[in-house]
Amino acid sequence: MTALLALSLLVSIALGAVAVRTLAPRAVALRWPLVLSLGAGLGAGLSALLFFAWMIAFGPGRGFVVAEAILAGAVMLASLRWKRGEPGAADDRHDLRPPTVLVVGLLLVLGAAGAAFASGLMWHPHGEWDAWMNWNLKARMFFRGGTEWRAAFSAALPWSHPDYPVLVPTLVARSWFYAGHETQLGPALVAATFTFGTVALLATALARLRGTGQGLLGGLVLLGTPFFIAHGTTLYADVPLGYFFLATFVGLALDARYGAGTTRFALLAGTMAGLSMVTKNEGLLFAIAVAGGLVLFSRRSLRGFALGMLPLLLLTLGYKAVFAPENDLISTLGADRTLGNLTSPDRYYMTLREYAVHIASFGSNGIGSLPWVLVAYLLGVGISRAELDRPWVRAGAVALALVMAGHFGVFVTMAHELARLLASSLDRLLLQLWPAALFLFLMVARMPNGKPEPPSHARQ
Amino acid sequence: MTAPGWATARARIALALVLLYAAASAAHLLYEVRRRPGHAAQDEISANDRRFERLRAELPADGEVGYLGDPEVAGAVPRDSVAAALLHFRRYLLAQYALAPVVVVESTAPDLLVGNFDSVPRPEPPGFRLVRDFGGGLLLYRRAVP
Repeated sequence: MTALLALSLLVSIALGAVAVRTLAPRAVALRWPLVLSLGAGLGAGLSALLFFAWMIAFGPGRGFVVAEAILAGAVMLASLRWKRGEPGAADDRHDLRPPTVLVVGLLLVLGAAGAAFASGLMWHPHGEWDAWMNWNLKARMFFRGGTEWRAAFSAALPWSHPDYPVLVPTLVARSWFYAGHETQLGPALVAATFTFGTVALLATALARLRGTGQGLLGGLVLLGTPFFIAHGTTLYADVPLGYFFLATFVGLALDARYGAGTTRFALLAGTMAGLSMVTKNEGLLFAIAVAGGLVLFSRRSLRGFALGMLPLLLLTLGYKAVFAPENDLISTLGADRTLGNLTSPDRYYMTLREYAVHIASFGSNGIGSLPWVLVAYLLGVGISRAELDRPWVRAGAVALALVMAGHFGVFVTMAHELARLLASSLDRLLLQLWPAALFLFLMVARMPNGKPEPPSHARQ
Repeated sequence: MTAPGWATARARIALALVLLYAAASAAHLLYEVRRRPGHAAQDEISANDRRFERLRAELPADGEVGYLGDPEVAGAVPRDSVAAALLHFRRYLLAQYALAPVVVVESTAPDLLVGNFDSVPRPEPPGFRLVRDFGGGLLLYRRAVP
């Protein structure tokens, strides 16, 4: 059973890694750790889409397992043949020797985070409230439902948010079909893939783009964010969503660095943003915000981004039209109530105050919180002007600001019980953005060795 | 101290600060590990799944079943009422999670009705007859043929 679950992970990573290798321009050799980190999420997204399409066509069943494994094998073989004989590609990593203290620190925090993650899952193997009343309930409907799997979207269960996208429950159900039965190791594996995949992606992308030391530092800070590890074990979809937000930024950064004459990395960024749309509704806002940032600062990347995002946007709209009842926030909106909310200064004040409090205390570990640590860090190491001036950095910063503004607008205009909703969801919304924000931060922060910046490879 | 020397010192202090944060986080995470019992068998959701196992086997493979459960939503004071409503809702959600893919609705409209009570015996709901008592306050009713 464990071997079959491991196979489910291997198959999706293989699909994703091959897709990343195929997408990467020939002249850019991405090393395997980065390819696998990107492939883990992209593969999970592809597997979820394939399984959902399979359910529509044939209904849920183990036939999918055989079909997907054959597909992964065939794609890998084809990729090996295709890649053979290609010109050797340059790797221009500025690989300064990382400080030993960072390596040791990362390993120690990784050990603590791994132990906390495993213990959290043993403590509540079904995850927390939203996981079992929403995501894993849908997974059970898919796995147990047979021809009636569409009951997962029953309007008789409005509290289960039947309009929510289904990447996470689809992956959980897929893991059970691989295992042959329901096991709590399935959702645990999905959660671990995204939690530690996010750390790996952050570290390997920063290592590639800014040096190994910066990569280790990124991994250290993210693993050391207690809420990130704890929330990973709740089996909610916020950490997977954060992975896709981060992967979008990584795609844009790779495009800025190596995308001369090609739209492939921008297309990868668009695909990752598209996968965020099939993970949670917030992904739609994020994708629009990134597109807005690119319109303002990096139009060169916009075409590739849109090409990658568009198919998934159409799929999302199609899903909403066919499967999803109306969103509960929207369905209860009325013009009078919305206008009343919009003109209520108290709601703005309360939302602003909670934003300030939650941001200031984000990542608290009992001794300090992250914003203060990172501000002090930036004062110590300084900012890399070359990185700060890159258009994608500005586009990314604008996208993050737009997403936060969008959430602010939703809180002010739509929320019924504003205080309760702010208390229960604001930290999670910040967590979704955290890996991408940390990536952006460490892309523009200078390296902690006090030495001059390596030569810039900027082409924009 | 020269300018480059000061820059290096500042950078080292900055790095030390991040490492300090990470060390505190590692300690926090390990404290959480120690604090938890760490036994899956103790978790409420798995126990609930086991409680509903036999009832689930009696239900059809799909469709809707009704649901009646404790606690009563109206409490003595408003705060009791909110707490009771929350517990009632949680028990209903857990019943749905355990009984999926059957859709469980808080209604007596379907022909099959799940009773999830703190104590039994209970009077049969009007128009229903008891099919089986699974123990522990878990009952299955069927609409009585008129």
